[in-house]
Amino acid sequence: MSIKSGYFKKRLHVDLTEGRCQRVPIAEELIERFIGGRGFGAKLVWDNLVKHDFQIDPLGPENLIVIAPGPLTGTYVPSSGKTSFVAISPATGLYGDSSAGGTFGLELRQTGIDMLTIDGRAPQLSVLFLDEDEASIVPVPELAGKTCLEAEGMLKDRFGTHEVKVAVIGPAGENLVRIACVNTDWSRNAGRCGMGAVLGSKNLKAIVVRGSKDLPVHDLRGLVQESEKAFAYMRNHKYFRMWQREGLMMVMEYASAAGILPTYNFKDATFPRVHQINGDTMLGGYKIGDNACLACSMACGNICLVKAGRYVGTVTEGPEYESCAMLGSNLGVDNYAAVLHATGLCDELGIDTISAGSLVGAVIEGYEQGILTLDDLDGQPIAWGDDAAVMQLLHKIARREGIGNTLADGSKGVIRRWPDMEKVLVQVKGLEQSAYDSRAASSMVLAYATSDIGAHHARAWTIAKEIEQGKNWSDEEKVDLVIYHQSLRPLFDMLGVCRLPWIELGLNEEHYARFYSLVTGSPATLGELLKRSRDVYDLTRLVNTKLGAGRKDDSLPYKVRACPIRTGPTAGKVVDQATFDRLLTLYYQKRGWDAEGIPSAEVEESFTAKA
Amino acid sequence: MAKKLAVVPELCSGCRICELICAIHHFAAANPKKSAVRVLVTYPHPVMRLPIVCGQCKVPLCADACPVGALKRTNGVVRLDTSGCISCMKCVEACPFGAMFAHSGLDYPIKCDLCDGKPQCVEKCPKGAIRFIPEQSLGEARRMNNVLSYAHMKEIEFTEKGEKKSIRYAEIGKEEL
Repeated sequence: MSIKSGYFKKRLHVDLTEGRCQRVPIAEELIERFIGGRGFGAKLVWDNLVKHDFQIDPLGPENLIVIAPGPLTGTYVPSSGKTSFVAISPATGLYGDSSAGGTFGLELRQTGIDMLTIDGRAPQLSVLFLDEDEASIVPVPELAGKTCLEAEGMLKDRFGTHEVKVAVIGPAGENLVRIACVNTDWSRNAGRCGMGAVLGSKNLKAIVVRGSKDLPVHDLRGLVQESEKAFAYMRNHKYFRMWQREGLMMVMEYASAAGILPTYNFKDATFPRVHQINGDTMLGGYKIGDNACLACSMACGNICLVKAGRYVGTVTEGPEYESCAMLGSNLGVDNYAAVLHATGLCDELGIDTISAGSLVGAVIEGYEQGILTLDDLDGQPIAWGDDAAVMQLLHKIARREGIGNTLADGSKGVIRRWPDMEKVLVQVKGLEQSAYDSRAASSMVLAYATSDIGAHHARAWTIAKEIEQGKNWSDEEKVDLVIYHQSLRPLFDMLGVCRLPWIELGLNEEHYARFYSLVTGSPATLGELLKRSRDVYDLTRLVNTKLGAGRKDDSLPYKVRACPIRTGPTAGKVVDQATFDRLLTLYYQKRGWDAEGIPSAEVEESFTAKA
Repeated sequence: MAKKLAVVPELCSGCRICELICAIHHFAAANPKKSAVRVLVTYPHPVMRLPIVCGQCKVPLCADACPVGALKRTNGVVRLDTSGCISCMKCVEACPFGAMFAHSGLDYPIKCDLCDGKPQCVEKCPKGAIRFIPEQSLGEARRMNNVLSYAHMKEIEFTEKGEKKSIRYAEIGKEEL
């Protein structure tokens, strides 16, 4: 079952310390077993760890960052715009990855490589420019402190065409803020895990790419036919037009009604004023255009403009659901323009909206409860719904000023300085929880706890299904669903496509096995691909356990076990430690890991062998 | 009846499905850089996604610029005779709309041929942003928009870093987006 196509079989490795860029071949075994995207990233990060004897400072020059689209990225496959950014995360100190949509991945592939790896540290602030013939490291001292959008505009001017695609960090990344993101294609972010800080620590402000090569596809005609089937299914779905119009903003209403919307830093799970920050409000007064990632007919991105009031003139893509919930209801902010502005500000400064919203929410609650004093807040009080104070705090985080300097170190930094903040911070492994309140569904608690990157919903999102169908689910059903999600969802990241057509419109996942087979010429069933994805999960688990994480880190946040939801349909819900422990034990068994959650020696052996 | 390509930029989401399918249809290549249609994206001032399409001009400046007469208009379509082309790319520069393209892997420019009367970009656009309409209906979308603009055109002023700026926008209703 050799791989016939789908890859250039080349990786560009950049050593910023030496100033050397080199194209190196990618071994066939790596391609077969790890597919691409997050799979490639996990393996290369693992190899790098082994090389450094498991001693890696996430912000040190030795932390290799892997930027990898997948074999389907940029082809005619629906929503195939994804690129993974993989490295040891400065937020958690463990395995980290984040994926960005847009068109950056296509452009990167069109330079004739399957992935880009970067290590070392440039002597001064630089950008990496690459096209199909050359790669060069160009010093750009003039970009220091520039926001993401400013920098992207300047780079497009400098490289003389706006056909180049740019991945850039903002001031937050430069200042090594551990929740800094990478902004691609103006507004598509690799948000989580502090990947922006990794680039910042390497003195790399941006990556500018321009490519024009044909993507290798084994059976293009077959791929188009298969893709057309998927497009037709999506087009005929009853919610398709809703997706184009509202995108993820439609989740606001749903989440509030279902009692899973983070509100007042997860004190509540419904927001009485949700109608002021929902999709309808956006459509009524703010949306001025659609934005889609490559080859995506759903076009979930909404470009919005504030036309009046304090935030007049703000243009940004979004907010989408996570941003709107974390910077809106989670902070008690009920003014859509303010949420929009905060989202835009996060994009400009280059910080993750989920982590930022969570940290700011914790600060407000911490101050309310007396864990933080006015002195801790630099003498500037903050309360629920105080949008001006929120903006100020976002600036302070990105610039590491005052309290921002502690918040910039993420949950771990905050807890180190104020241990009692552990009670109000909703996080796992140091990564702040996404915008779905897990107390309503114990499978979601397990999903957050066992996610390799921390409390993020990208690995498994079982909450809606459990709420709708899972009243009488057994432990086993819950664990099985979490593991299935944790195998399937990362597979999308490995293939380089978006999961929304599947999770939101119910596109049959079997399509993806056929896409893979048609692109690579190496037939594989969905089961086989899921097996490879599951292997990658074992691998990222190994990365984490080797770095000292274990059962103690697959934790239940204090709030989830001790503070019942106050109001709404899920009022009173908590997930107790005993239930959680039971689920976790069963989960480890099903994974084939030991009681401490450590994969077996044979599994480890299979990754250390030459590949 | 002669039909032409028309675009409604307000509807375009920038997904580039038009580019992908065009290159597949004409060059059997997964490569949007070999497409005869391109989506131009500007952001954030102004926010615009504009598909650039060939108008099949009756006085084609691309053909005028061709020193060997390789471009000819027949039955309403300006076609390129690739065997006669000398690859000077003067046509690409001559098109007032930038609707012809060059690619380093091709010995001749990329020219829209309306896919023998069934333009794939139109067929596949998920937003209806590119249309294939009778010539007498050209400008329809623009006229429609103008009506909307007259009805709702607004201008707002704001200050950015001490500099006064203004944005004009059409207040488009929920249903159009």
